[in-house]
Amino acid sequence: MRRELAGRVAWALAAIAAVAFAITPLVWMILTSVKSNREITQDGTLLPSAVTIGNYVSLFSGREFTSYLANSIIVTTLSVAIALALGTQAAYALARFRLWGGLDRYLGFSLLMVRLLPPIAIVIPVFLVAQQLGLLNTLLGLIVVYATFNVTIVVWMMESFFREIPVDLEEAAMVDGDTRFTAFRRIVLPLAAPGLVATGIFAAITTYNEFLFALVLTSTPSAETMPIGAATLIGRINVDWGAMSAAGVIGALPIVIFSVFVQRHLVRGLTMGAVK
Amino acid sequence: MAVLTTSHPARALRGSGLDRVLPYLMLGPTLFLVLGVVVYPLIDGLRSSTGFFRFGRQIRSVGLDNYAQAFNDPHFTGAIETTFRFVVLAVTIETVVGLALALLCAREVRFIRRLRSTLILPMIITPVVVGIVFRLIYASDVGLLASFARAFGLDAPEILSTGTGAFWGLVFLDVWEWTPLLFLILLAGIQSMPVEPFEAAKVDGAGPWRTFVDHTLPLLRPTILVAVSLRAIDALTTFDQVYVLTRGGPGTSTQLISIYGYQTFFQFQQVGYAAAMMFMVALVVVVVSGFAIALMRRRGR
Repeated sequence: MRRELAGRVAWALAAIAAVAFAITPLVWMILTSVKSNREITQDGTLLPSAVTIGNYVSLFSGREFTSYLANSIIVTTLSVAIALALGTQAAYALARFRLWGGLDRYLGFSLLMVRLLPPIAIVIPVFLVAQQLGLLNTLLGLIVVYATFNVTIVVWMMESFFREIPVDLEEAAMVDGDTRFTAFRRIVLPLAAPGLVATGIFAAITTYNEFLFALVLTSTPSAETMPIGAATLIGRINVDWGAMSAAGVIGALPIVIFSVFVQRHLVRGLTMGAVK
Repeated sequence: MAVLTTSHPARALRGSGLDRVLPYLMLGPTLFLVLGVVVYPLIDGLRSSTGFFRFGRQIRSVGLDNYAQAFNDPHFTGAIETTFRFVVLAVTIETVVGLALALLCAREVRFIRRLRSTLILPMIITPVVVGIVFRLIYASDVGLLASFARAFGLDAPEILSTGTGAFWGLVFLDVWEWTPLLFLILLAGIQSMPVEPFEAAKVDGAGPWRTFVDHTLPLLRPTILVAVSLRAIDALTTFDQVYVLTRGGPGTSTQLISIYGYQTFFQFQQVGYAAAMMFMVALVVVVVSGFAIALMRRRGR
C-alpha cells in the first residue's frame, strides 16, 4: 500500500517535471512580452513587476504585422484546400486502380520521394524558375508551391485510408446506378472523413510554420508570412526584446488556438504525418 | 501504427467507358503541380549547377567543376561534419528522453490526455518562434538563464558568444522542440504492444527494469528504428532555428549544411555552386531515406 503511494507520488513528480520542461521556455517568452523594456534590459527580473501591453501595441502600430498574419492565413487556407481537393482524387486513383504499366506503384513512391527531398535542394531551382515567371514576391507563388508540397502529403496519407475502405461499398453504389466518381464522392469520401481531418491538420500546421521557401520567395510585407515577419524583426530592430517576444507570442498564437480546436484529432494527425 | 506500403489493391476494379480514363483524370492535376513545381525546376536546376553565374546570370558552362569544387571547400566539408555531429547528438538524446516520456505517459490515469497534448506543444510551435524563444533564454544580458544566474549571485553564462556554447545551445533547442515527436511515435508503439509477455513477466515476479530490458525494448525496437530514421532525415536539413538563433555563428560553429547552402546562394550569389552542393546533399538524403523506407516496409510485412 505504502509502496504504491510512493510510486504514485514519483509518477506525479516526473509528470510535473516533464510539463515544466515543455512549457517553461514558452512561459518565459510570454512573461518577457508583458514587461516594459526598462524592466527587461535594466532590472532583469524573473517575474514582471507590472503587466504592460505596450509591446503588443507597438507591434501592431505599423501595418506590416497585420499583413504578415493575413498573408499566413490566406496562404495556409488556400494551399491546404487546393491540396485536399486534388490530392484525395489522386490518392483514390492510386488506391483503387491498376494503371498502365504499373504506373500507380511508381507514382506513389515518387510522390513520397518529393516529400523527403531536402527543402534547401528544391528551393534554389524553384527560386530560379519563379524569377523567370515573375512569381517572386507574390502570394500566388507561395500558394502554388505550398499546395504542391501539401498535395504530396495528402496523397501519401489518404491512399492508405482509402485502401482500408472495402471496395464492396462502391460496387454496391455503382450497381444502384452511381458512376464511379459519384460513388467516390458520396460513399468513400465521407467514410474517410477522419483521415481527411487529420491530414488537413498536419498540412495546415506544416504550412503555417514554413520558413525557408517564404524567406527565399518573398521580400516585402505585402507577400511575406508570419514566420518571416517574426524573423526579420530580430534583424531590423536589433535588440528590442519586448517586441521580439510579443512577435513570438502572436506568431505562435494561431497554431495554439487551432490545436485547441482540433485537439481530438491533433495527436493522430501529427503521428500519421510523421509515420505514414 | 501505420506502415509504409505501396502494394497493389486486393482487387483491381474494371470499369467501362469514362471509368477507364477516370484514374488518369483524377491524377492529372496532382501530377501537373508536382511536375511544374518540383520536377521541372529540378531539371532546370541541374543545368544551372553546371554553370558559372555573375549577377544572377549564367555566364558560361563549367561542366562538373562546381561539384569538384565542393570537395576542396573546407566550409562545405566542415558544414557536413557539423551537421552530422548535430544530428547524432540531438537524435540520441531525443530518443532516450522521448522513450522515458512515452513510458511515463503509457498508463491510463486521469488527465493523461491533457498531459500528452501539453507535452507535444513544442513540436507544433512555429520553428522560427522556437528560435526566438531560445534567444530569450540564452541571451547573456536579458536571458532566462542569465536572470536565474543573477538571482543566485552567479555570473551570466556565455552561450551564444562561444562556439561550443552555441553548438550545444542549438542541440538543446532541437531536443526541446523534437523530443515530443519521438515521444508520440514511441507512445503509439508502446500502446500497440501485446500484453501477454508483460502478464507472464508479472507472474514470474520480474522487476520493472528486467521487464523493460527483456520485453519492452525488444518489442519496441522496430518502432525506435522508424522514429529515429524519420527524425534524423528531418534534422539533416535543419534551417529555421539556426537562422534565427545564430545564423551559423559564432565563426562556423553552428554552420549546418542548409545554412551554408543558403548563404552561398543568397549572400555570396554563387548560384551554380550552391545548386551543385545542394544536389549532392539531396542525393545523400534520398539514399538515407531509401534505406529507411526499405526498413519500414520490411517491418510492415
